[in-house]
Amino acid sequence: MAARDRPECKIAPSILSADFARLAEESKRMISCGADWLHVDVMDGHFVPNLTIGAPVVKSLRKNLPDAFLDCHLMVSNPKQWILDFAKAGASLYNFHLECVMDDNTNEEQATELRSLINEVKASGMKVGISIKPKTPAEWIVPFLGEIDMVNVLTVEPGFGGQKFMSDIVGKCKIIREASKEVHIQVDGGVAPSTIDACAAVGANVIVAGSAIFGSDKPQEVIATLKKSVEAAATA
Amino acid sequence: MQAAGQRLTMRTTASRGAKAGRLASGSSRTARSAVVAKGTDRDIQIIPSVLPADWANMGQCVADLEAAGVDRIQFDVMDGNFVPNLTFGPEMIAACRKYCKTPFETQLMVSQYASETMLKDYVDATKGPNGEPGVVIVHVEACDHLQRCLKQIRELGGSPSVALNPHTPAEMVKNVLCDVDHVLVMTVNPGFGGQAYIPTMLDKIRELRAAIVAGGYDVDIEVDGGIKADWTISQCCDAGANCFIAGSGMFAYPTLKEGCDALRAIAKDAQAGKVLPPP
Repeated sequence: MAARDRPECKIAPSILSADFARLAEESKRMISCGADWLHVDVMDGHFVPNLTIGAPVVKSLRKNLPDAFLDCHLMVSNPKQWILDFAKAGASLYNFHLECVMDDNTNEEQATELRSLINEVKASGMKVGISIKPKTPAEWIVPFLGEIDMVNVLTVEPGFGGQKFMSDIVGKCKIIREASKEVHIQVDGGVAPSTIDACAAVGANVIVAGSAIFGSDKPQEVIATLKKSVEAAATA
Repeated sequence: MQAAGQRLTMRTTASRGAKAGRLASGSSRTARSAVVAKGTDRDIQIIPSVLPADWANMGQCVADLEAAGVDRIQFDVMDGNFVPNLTFGPEMIAACRKYCKTPFETQLMVSQYASETMLKDYVDATKGPNGEPGVVIVHVEACDHLQRCLKQIRELGGSPSVALNPHTPAEMVKNVLCDVDHVLVMTVNPGFGGQAYIPTMLDKIRELRAAIVAGGYDVDIEVDGGIKADWTISQCCDAGANCFIAGSGMFAYPTLKEGCDALRAIAKDAQAGKVLPPP
């Protein structure tokens, strides 16, 4: 068996692109099309200029899909506020933004606060992920890779679906992958069959796609294409 | 004064027919309300909140509520800043539109920043199946420029309404009664369903009703929080409210229709003078 340079590929369709009135049905459809995780975009109208869904929706999703992996991306101004709500609601992974805690990577207090949040998430029973916006350097997250399960590299400015993939940003994944073979690296924002090879080449293994999957009349094929590209790069 | 035709007043679903809210002075029902001019009784409207629903199947939920005979459906938007809960935004509301024809109502429990940046999205999402104005409720506590906000809702094609938290006196909205179609009196602190009704809000309802009648305004009074088919809805109706938000108060019944009918029956009795006393 060929050696791998990264964990197993996970395809995580973003329900931001689903019909919000039929989230259970849409989520089940994605899983039957080969999705591994469900990416849940939580926005509070303050950290980003949009308001989407919160823990009560996650609770309903968990009730309807008892075994699904719910990957929750918290684009909220106070990530500490929602840890217990999301754990109780049944979230599998709690992914919050580095920028909520850190605006200076040499600041020891901020690093301590970040570690405290990471530990709080883990203590609640969820996996922990940290997101970095396009302008945030990859180097800032490297010191924490051993303590977290996932890094999410945003390839658009967070807030809305359907945006254009920033191909100059995806290279940040390379810096993170070179520092850790075990951490999950998620790419989120404008990822599609046309941009997947660029993501796979730099070490990403968790792929978030919204409009590319939900907008297709053959989501099964899109998911398969995305997975194939990542697996080929993982064992090259 | 508003120009003719500018007022966009929400009315009940077609099956109930429309009854214009005529205002007359001096009409009273019970001994207690004889002191306060209540005006002519206004249409009772039963408005479920979607808070107790299965949020992964909201389309089905609103279709079920329509079948149960409700007058409007309320969507509780909470941004985790104004209230300590985060529910959903305009997309959830807009997604439900195609699953029923029932008018929508959106209560914005969001900070001033959030209501300013996304007001158009909410007004658009709340509109009726043919673009009719949907009720958009802003909190008096969240809007530094309330009159401007209410005017914007009207200009964007919505039906403006203002909400008051339990601690907020009726006085705070007296200068905007001419700019709204409804006033919402919260009978719990907003943020979560299933809370206990706060009975001290009755005086506020009476005060608002008197001010509305005295000013000759065509304005409904809505109550929200712990309202059930018992003395809570009865007393609020007697005090002058005519629109009733019920969450667990309706969903607790074996069927939604039973819940809706039970609430409506007690409210109608209260308007006819049969008012249930508190326990």
